[in-house]
Amino acid sequence: MPSSILLPPSKFPLRGCPKSLVGRGLLLAAMIMVLPACSNLGVEPWERDLLARPAMEIRGDSLDSAFDDHIYFSKEASSGGAGFSGGGCGCN
Amino acid sequence: MTRAEARPGDLTISRQQQGYIARFTAMACECELLMDLDDETLAHDLAGIVHNEARRIEHKFSRYRSDNLIAQINHSRGKPVSIDPETAALLRFADNLYQLSDGSFDITSGLLRQAWVFDGSDRLPRQAQITPLMERIGWSKVKWSETAITLPDGMEIDLGGIGKEYAVDQCLALIMQSTAAPVLVNLGGDLSCNGPTQPEKTWLVGVQSRSHSRLPDALKLKAGALATSGDMHRFLHRHGRRYSHILDPRTGWPVEDAPVSVTVAAPTCVQAGSLATLAMLQGRQAESWLEEMGAEYWVEHHSSGD
Amino acid sequence: MQLDKKQLLALATASLLGSAPAHGENTQGEALNRQDDNAQAATSKWRMETGLLYYDEKERVTAVEPVFAASKTWADGSRLSFKAVLDSLTGASHNGASVADTPQTFSGPSGKSSYTVPAGEVPLDDTFKDTRGAFSVQWSGVPEDGRTWSAGGNVSAEYDFKSLTVNGGFSQEFNKKNTTLNLGVSVERDWINPVGDSPEPLSLYSDQLKAAASEDKIVTDLMVGVTQVINRSTIMQFNLGYSRASGYLTDPYKVVSVLGLAGQPLDYLYENRPDSRSKMTVYWQARHHLEEDIVDVSYRYLSDDWGIRSHTLDFHYRWQAENFYIQPHLRFYRQSAADFYRVNLDVAPLTPGGPLVIDPATLPAEVSADYRLADLDTRTVGVKFGMTLAEETELSFRLEYYQQSGDTKPADLDATIFQVGYSFWF
Repeated sequence: MPSSILLPPSKFPLRGCPKSLVGRGLLLAAMIMVLPACSNLGVEPWERDLLARPAMEIRGDSLDSAFDDHIYFSKEASSGGAGFSGGGCGCN
Repeated sequence: MTRAEARPGDLTISRQQQGYIARFTAMACECELLMDLDDETLAHDLAGIVHNEARRIEHKFSRYRSDNLIAQINHSRGKPVSIDPETAALLRFADNLYQLSDGSFDITSGLLRQAWVFDGSDRLPRQAQITPLMERIGWSKVKWSETAITLPDGMEIDLGGIGKEYAVDQCLALIMQSTAAPVLVNLGGDLSCNGPTQPEKTWLVGVQSRSHSRLPDALKLKAGALATSGDMHRFLHRHGRRYSHILDPRTGWPVEDAPVSVTVAAPTCVQAGSLATLAMLQGRQAESWLEEMGAEYWVEHHSSGD
Repeated sequence: MQLDKKQLLALATASLLGSAPAHGENTQGEALNRQDDNAQAATSKWRMETGLLYYDEKERVTAVEPVFAASKTWADGSRLSFKAVLDSLTGASHNGASVADTPQTFSGPSGKSSYTVPAGEVPLDDTFKDTRGAFSVQWSGVPEDGRTWSAGGNVSAEYDFKSLTVNGGFSQEFNKKNTTLNLGVSVERDWINPVGDSPEPLSLYSDQLKAAASEDKIVTDLMVGVTQVINRSTIMQFNLGYSRASGYLTDPYKVVSVLGLAGQPLDYLYENRPDSRSKMTVYWQARHHLEEDIVDVSYRYLSDDWGIRSHTLDFHYRWQAENFYIQPHLRFYRQSAADFYRVNLDVAPLTPGGPLVIDPATLPAEVSADYRLADLDTRTVGVKFGMTLAEETELSFRLEYYQQSGDTKPADLDATIFQVGYSFWF
């Protein structure tokens, strides 16, 4: 009898914590970033029912975000963080 | 599903314009064997083979019996139970489907029927009824091998989801060891047939559907299988929302926006049935999933009228 | 790996039945009496999102912005999206001058129109209305072994400003898709053609000295981030960003008031900002699914070499009902001023009792009175209402109230934001 056929195992087992970034102030940030990747957080593929919902997309409501990014970029001195805003305008 | 009778009905064989039809009851449904041949003795032999095989599989895997292997497994109270190669093959197939469906196809999920009674009413179970059942569900909790299965105490398995399609394929395989004549095995709507001798002849299969659905009224099959998964008669209705009887074992609740029915054509009945069942579990993604699987399918959705 | 799944199922079936299908490879099913030729659902559909934003600062800027976006994901996982935006601005914005006890008169950038600001009021320049159009494309490729490449571009044009951006990205999934590493880079090139040409930096407003007809700048952005599934109901994202802008970063229309000993405005100087800006951002976001509702919180810290430090805290709560949701929203923002920010400049006599002269040696090399570079506190409170119509069509309304306050009157600002959104499959 042929052996059980399962989905191929992940080709990228996490061997170690990703080392990163420079800067004193960034060191703490880097450690915080490294933490989730190192611990065994996460769910099995069949536990993704809630996460699969469109409302759970971490970058959902893209129209709202785009509008907001544009407003706050022209009213405040900060921009970016979550992702690229996708282009310039003459408002700041 | 209504409780099955303990013994299948009598086998009847009748002569048709072209060939023979054998009819009997097994697995709680009407079964028939269509044979495009002239030899009456052969027709009787084939009918007997199919009748016996259907009964054998029903007897071995039905969860309504208290004296078969399934009953032994479901009452094992956490102790290992020896299994034969056929059962191991079915368990391995159930395991493959569990992996392929990301856990939505789960043969241990039958316990949910204790909370969900699909009688067309508006009586939904409370979460408090579902949560304790969820602890006794989960194929990943089952230990099994080619020779034995160990089911944790309180859990049960139900091979009803794949048993009928398996029986169809096994029946056809047995027939084809005896003859190359065109035959069609139909166990309650899940069917498979082999090729007609003359290229222009095909099997004509009638499909029952609601009048305003997009399903064709009849399908022409040359060879291969057809299986249907559906909820036409089994549902609950509450606050304008229809709860299909396709339960998601990961949540204990019905799959959202499941189609009314999914019919799939494939080379074997097991494959057609797996695709149909897995597609239903995808809910509103049924069609795109079937598209990605390259299946030949017909999906029927709810109209706003229900 | 959809093709693998198909093969896996076929192999699993063959394994169960003990051999390859004996009776025919192809089903050759054919339907009779088909009422609908396309009984199989079309998956080649575009997701369309349309929206209209209305932004209104009382007494200052009003903007109306229609948006149209379309995206499609193919069966192999690749994705293409387009977006077109029109941005129409009217109204007045602060020109940099500080509030005075006397009326102030300014001429518009083109030198033709002029406007007078009453005593005690914030000097607002309302002499230009502007319309901006922008178009962007974004493509992401076929995921392979959890790896996806993406690229995109954006063009934007308005009367005095044109911009072209290209971006590229890479993401890799690990850990049963629980961890995703995201890398991105974007380069933006801007062409600035100020109305009436760019002014000589730090020159007197009354001299109207011009520097150049066109200026430019380049902005490069780098981002590295991790998206991590925490548990069945929680997902988080953590990003580090670095951005460097170089070129013409000054606002050609803004001035800084020069005040005399009694505090009266003597003249104005055109502002001058450094010709480079490096900033770093740290961003964290968490989204959590409760029984029915969803809560989202995010924090951003920004630090740049202009001396600006800012904190942004954003909070959304989605109260989910069957066919609609109500989503209140809170946002808090605080920034510290740029090193070269001044409310205004003072002038002292060169010699005691002598005439008031502006000595270039006493002027800072860079100065700006743009309140957007000052200490600022802003709050946004809003609510969004979304409802699902038939077939995954969604209609939404969003109403927000934005309030800004700082140490000076120009920095005190109220705005109302109203947005309508409509998305559907096509």
